[in-house]
Amino acid sequence: MANLKEIRKRIKTVKNTRKITSAMSRIAGARLARAQNAAKAARPYGERLAEVVAGLMGSLDDGGSLHPLLEKRDNVKRVGLILMTADRGLCGGFNTKANRAAKKFILEQEKQGREVVIITCGKKGNSFLRHAEFDVFRHHDAPTLETVVSSAKAIATEASTMFTAAEDDAEVQRVDRWVLVYNYFKNALTQEIRTAPVLPFPEPEVGEPALSPVFEPEPKKLLEHLLPVALESLLQQAMFNSIAAELAARRMAMDSATDNASELIDDLTLEFNRERQAAITKELMEIIGGAEALKG
Amino acid sequence: MSGSISLQILTPLGSAVPPAEGSKEPRESVEVPGVEVPGLYGELGVLPDHVPFITPVVPGVVRYREGETSERLAVGAGFVEVTEDGRVAIMIERAVRSADVKVAEVTARLKEVTAELDKKTDAIDALEHRKLANEQAWLEAQLRASN
Repeated sequence: MANLKEIRKRIKTVKNTRKITSAMSRIAGARLARAQNAAKAARPYGERLAEVVAGLMGSLDDGGSLHPLLEKRDNVKRVGLILMTADRGLCGGFNTKANRAAKKFILEQEKQGREVVIITCGKKGNSFLRHAEFDVFRHHDAPTLETVVSSAKAIATEASTMFTAAEDDAEVQRVDRWVLVYNYFKNALTQEIRTAPVLPFPEPEVGEPALSPVFEPEPKKLLEHLLPVALESLLQQAMFNSIAAELAARRMAMDSATDNASELIDDLTLEFNRERQAAITKELMEIIGGAEALKG
Repeated sequence: MSGSISLQILTPLGSAVPPAEGSKEPRESVEVPGVEVPGLYGELGVLPDHVPFITPVVPGVVRYREGETSERLAVGAGFVEVTEDGRVAIMIERAVRSADVKVAEVTARLKEVTAELDKKTDAIDALEHRKLANEQAWLEAQLRASN
């Protein structure tokens, strides 16, 4: 009989777990809709800004290569990595995949004799890299929809300060290249790890502007204002993607956890019934056996 | 001469054009007879048939009239682009309607920030200083929009 009790207890536990996972899935689903809306609302800003940058750089003969944030360095000594993950787990392969990509990137760079400076955005990436005994230079918590702007600003400022530092600067380490690893939100079912260049600022594809607008101040000066903003916008887009991807991954993971729990409950119920029936049969046999013995 | 321009106010958090009456969602754009924008070189007014034009925007107040109502928004730093076909896109890091400015909170914070700024004068705090100065400009812009 102890076995029956045990099975009943396990069914109850699994049912409780299922309640939690299905609630988490539903919450993630609702938040995902909000995150997708926010990402959609943000898109016009990013796109217009990118167009302005493209138009501006197209109008410069030298592609604006003189701006410090565009400087391509042949001799890359130090590479910066921005790793975007989530603050919390229970979202399938979301964090693990980003972490693995980051680790691979770091090891590759180190093999080439380059130093890697790491900025993490999201607790999971931070603790993974620390555990793997890499030095994390700066850590930020994962942004929420409300803090995307300030978070992107903080990271953009850090990255560009280190990028533009003088080579022999004693206080600030000069980083020659910045790369971003994040989860791109392809659709609600797929996330994709992307490794994107951040600095030197990736040159946009320059189309022929229909009519060159008047730039005030002159294009080069304007670029000085525009590039930092464009950099922030680049990080913001990545963050919106990462937030949406995290929620999508969590919903999927929790959905399959709920399914698994349901399956387990079915199996356990079957087993429970079988045991119960066996116990009844056994008792019946004993009664019949006893009656037979009395008769005889 | 179209007589009006199509104004877009874009922020990283979406459009900041105030919603039409009876609706809650911000609109994508609004038709206006003209708009005033705080440019890097001073306040500038954009009227229909303006030459295509791009310039930085500094924290300040954007003003326009829609029908009989005049609208004021505090904006952060960013850009304004006037395109050939008469569209005006203001891209800024943040914006808030004058009616939504929390005057008491903003005033209190402004006092704090100003006091902090007065303390930090050495070059070591350059980054911190810039951050505070930016915040100060934004807070002042909100106050200017609200009165």
